[in-house]
Amino acid sequence: MGVTDSLKYYWNVKVVGEPFLQWQRWQAERHPKTPSRWRTDILSPPLRIGAKTKELISRHYLEGRYANGHRPVAWVTSGGPVEILQALGFYVLYPENHGALCGVRKAVVEISGEAENAGYSTDICSYARTDIGSMLSGKTPVGRLPKPDLLLACTNICQTVLHWYRVLAKHFKVPLILIDTPFVYSEASDHALEYVKKQLENSIPISEQVAGQTLDYRRLKEIIQLSKDAAELWLEIIGRGRHHPAPISVFDQFIHMAPIVEMRGKKETVDFYAALLKELDENIDKGIGAVRNERKRLLWDNLPIWYRLRYFAEYLAEHGISVVASTYTNAWGELAPLMNKEKPLESMAKTYTYPILNQGTKYKLDTMKRMVEEFELDGVILHSDRSCKPYSIGQIDQRNKLIQEYGIPALLLEADHDDPRAYAEEQVASRLASFVEMLDN
Amino acid sequence: MNMTIPPRKEVITDIKNHGGLVAAVLPIHYSRALLRAFSIYPVEVWGPPKVDVSLGGAHLQAYICSIVHNGLSFLKMGGLNIADLILIPHTCDSLQGLTSVLIDLIQPEQVIIPLYLPRGQREEDVAFLVDEFRSLYTRFSDLTGKHPTSKDLLTAIKREEMSDLLLTKLYKNRQQVGLSNIDFYRLVRSREYLPAEHFSTLAEKTLQAATEPRPGIPIILSGILPEPMEVLTMIDKMSGLIVADDLACCGRRLYAPGTSPDPFRRMAERIVYAPPDPTRGNSIEERLKYLTEMAQNSGAQGVIFYEVKFCEPELFDLPSLRAGLKEQGLASIIIEVDINNSLPRQVATRIGAFLEMLDS
Ligand code: SF4
Ligand code: SF4
Repeated sequence: MGVTDSLKYYWNVKVVGEPFLQWQRWQAERHPKTPSRWRTDILSPPLRIGAKTKELISRHYLEGRYANGHRPVAWVTSGGPVEILQALGFYVLYPENHGALCGVRKAVVEISGEAENAGYSTDICSYARTDIGSMLSGKTPVGRLPKPDLLLACTNICQTVLHWYRVLAKHFKVPLILIDTPFVYSEASDHALEYVKKQLENSIPISEQVAGQTLDYRRLKEIIQLSKDAAELWLEIIGRGRHHPAPISVFDQFIHMAPIVEMRGKKETVDFYAALLKELDENIDKGIGAVRNERKRLLWDNLPIWYRLRYFAEYLAEHGISVVASTYTNAWGELAPLMNKEKPLESMAKTYTYPILNQGTKYKLDTMKRMVEEFELDGVILHSDRSCKPYSIGQIDQRNKLIQEYGIPALLLEADHDDPRAYAEEQVASRLASFVEMLDN
Repeated sequence: MNMTIPPRKEVITDIKNHGGLVAAVLPIHYSRALLRAFSIYPVEVWGPPKVDVSLGGAHLQAYICSIVHNGLSFLKMGGLNIADLILIPHTCDSLQGLTSVLIDLIQPEQVIIPLYLPRGQREEDVAFLVDEFRSLYTRFSDLTGKHPTSKDLLTAIKREEMSDLLLTKLYKNRQQVGLSNIDFYRLVRSREYLPAEHFSTLAEKTLQAATEPRPGIPIILSGILPEPMEVLTMIDKMSGLIVADDLACCGRRLYAPGTSPDPFRRMAERIVYAPPDPTRGNSIEERLKYLTEMAQNSGAQGVIFYEVKFCEPELFDLPSLRAGLKEQGLASIIIEVDINNSLPRQVATRIGAFLEMLDS
């Protein structure tokens, strides 16, 4: 690591950037934007914590911008085991989160176009396309992404990530750690868990070599505990959606989930979620719901449609509908109980083998049914995401079963989480309108 | 050369008449020997093309590849009723999804058995696959009541190894055996359903009939499978000569004989160390090296990447592979197909133009 780069890092991040972002947050907290960009006649004003979310995300990307040469950088898939890397001092970037941010900022068509011009098909996942486009062109709405010194792909969300990270490995010429997590059709076999644990073990010397330091197991345990604490808080936050009216919608969750994905294992992430929980509890006490006139409540399945969050939130709120739970945001909390700092690698092997995306379609259907009951929901919107085959396969039967076997109204919407070109505005609007009408009857 | 390959139906009837069980096996890698040790005969299901896809479409979105769509449609129309079990290797997200949909939601009559394939070539990958095969052994034992010994397993393995050696020899001598593109692939792909011993007999006969090398514009075919098979007749007509392939159903399954005395390890190593395949996680560099050497050894002048639409494992590698091949002076094109459709005229035009370009 170089002295000049470290000086640059301290100056830009610690001396200038962080105080500026803090000041920006204070300003936003003291003078909340009125009116909000989202309609506050039908939606409650944005959560106060939003200013902190913005600060955390901006700081994360700011740190990344100056990380090269100062700290080792790892690019990791969103469900990847990050605790070992955190303990070794890596700056961790999640290209999927960056992809989501590009989606929200409506930059995907341009950046993904760079990958498409280089021959990458529009039939591959739009997160991957956006990331590859950014890698090839340097384009990003966050200024600059740091180059990775190490890549880690974990197949617990899809096989796509491995294909994608092989492209990154070839381009950046850096080591690629693979954590392969056998798919769980009913229960993970002992040999599958042993396999994952072995890979985690074997990833340590490679990561140590890149980081230039030895793993401190005490630090690893602390980080695992912090990850667990944050995930448990996140689960509680999601659970607050059980209240009528729900103090948080999934559209808020989509926005505030960034830290649980890309800042796990940090004390400030735990503090952040504790503060969010507190705010929600205050709102519950005051009877404030995310949707002002909550009459109906829905579940969202699959990834968000990042470039249409506002449209969905407002259209549904107009009809008194609050989308209060989601299988997607739930995935970041439901495994918290499996983490155990006293058995670091063993518990990590289990935790990272069991995400919803690495489990069968029945598990997902059961999760939807359970959530509908627990959150007292009136229906389900299943986003059939063209990019995400592992999440989407099975949704046709799941929808049919929800309707026919459990009597739960369900709508399948075809779109793409990041690429607006795969989104048929009129078709979505008319299907959504019929669904809303049906819910009212 | 005249060659009679028994049709799939006849082979299956024969197996059944002799008391064998049939396993319908979906793409790509698995151990034939393990099945055979239990007298279960693998019959592979790559699609098949030209079925009523509305049956699969009732369960799968349009952006899932036609191999998976057709496989499910074929099952729904009763095409797999003859099978006693369905084995689905974990090849990609789409096949993983299909397996799960079948087990959890559709629940057909046949037993569905998944096989997870590790994505690396490390020692832990081999160890994991050894354990996967051991647990499959237990499942097959439960199903059949049979308990083949290590010796039985090794006998089955050696029979398959012999057949694979002959297959490899056919590949090496493909220009001397006097077969057109279409006939060569009819023969090679009969390995998808013929018991090893029958395939070996056919291969030996073919190898004896050595002739002058066939003329033609030498190319490599890469991708998943040459379906619809008309594409091969078309390449024949256009004087293209497939001198080597990197097809998932063919060249990527030229498994080398194993060495381990432990049957499970031997079966696992044969798959883990097979020719590079993106679905088993080989790096793009390994694939590029393999393709470049293949072109050098076979004299191929270009590569046709003949892809199934929506196949992510293939699509991610194409830009890097094509750029790398170009650096070596090798031209390439990508053709994308839906195996359920007849070949569009545009495909013929593009392949024709590509061959012409190579010829000039
Ligand atoms: S395929 Fe799905 S799980 Fe995989 S990277 Fe894309 S969106 Fe994420
Ligand atoms: S064609 Fe590709 S996506 Fe389809 S089953 Fe085969 S490997 Fe999977």
